[in-house]
Amino acid sequence: MTRHEEDQEIQHFFLAMKERDQRIPAPEFPAIKKSKTINWWIPVGIAASLVAGFFFLGEKESPPLPAPMGEVVIITLEEGPDQEMQFNIEHTNEMDIWESPTASLLTEY
Amino acid sequence: MNRTQLESFLRDHHREAFLWARQCCGFDGELAKDVIQQVYLKILEGKARLKHDSNCKTWLFTIIRFTAIDELRKSGKSERLDSEVEVVWAEPEADPETYEALVRRLPTRQQEGMLMVFYHEMTLEQTAEVLKLQIGTVRTHYGRGKKKLREWIEKIRVTQ
Repeated sequence: MTRHEEDQEIQHFFLAMKERDQRIPAPEFPAIKKSKTINWWIPVGIAASLVAGFFFLGEKESPPLPAPMGEVVIITLEEGPDQEMQFNIEHTNEMDIWESPTASLLTEY
Repeated sequence: MNRTQLESFLRDHHREAFLWARQCCGFDGELAKDVIQQVYLKILEGKARLKHDSNCKTWLFTIIRFTAIDELRKSGKSERLDSEVEVVWAEPEADPETYEALVRRLPTRQQEGMLMVFYHEMTLEQTAEVLKLQIGTVRTHYGRGKKKLREWIEKIRVTQ
């Protein structure tokens, strides 16, 4: 008997075995539960809450701005017409350049 | 392979997978049902993953075989897989219908080899992959299994 014939004999054996096994009942394929899909409402809800929070926070009165600088009062002591020292009170809103009227009294080193 | 493809593959091979599980469990159908359930759980829960270069059927058969081995060990029915003692088997029964009986007489490795090649139509290389053996070792078991089975078939034919 050739190898091919020998193998054919065994092939017939297993073919017959498979035909006989067709009587064997296989269990039902299990029902597979689909994994829960992500609940997109949760992140959407969180995002909506954050947006609403920023919105409401933005509507609150902004903290009061610091009061604008009031008038600048410059008080100087000057010699009056009667050679009397008198105070000179000057009100101004700007003080970009100010020279002390008594700057000349300062000694520069 | 995505989950949908995996489920489709398992469905397509369900009956063959169950029959292989039954064969791995010593032809115990009830144990095979437990094994196949566990196998599907492992696969669908991601505990057993298909490598990109693996053949799907050999991968499935490997998981089934190892799961069956675990179950047999738990039930105390396992035998050492590495034992390959040449046993002088008793004369096979004259009843030609006992295909399973003849196959079960073979040592485990020879049984597995013969079933994978002739019953499940796998190559020797795929068989080696499932059994985690070198191809040369598989050829040896395959050759011995064929020789022994052939002798028994011949005896049955002669006695009929």
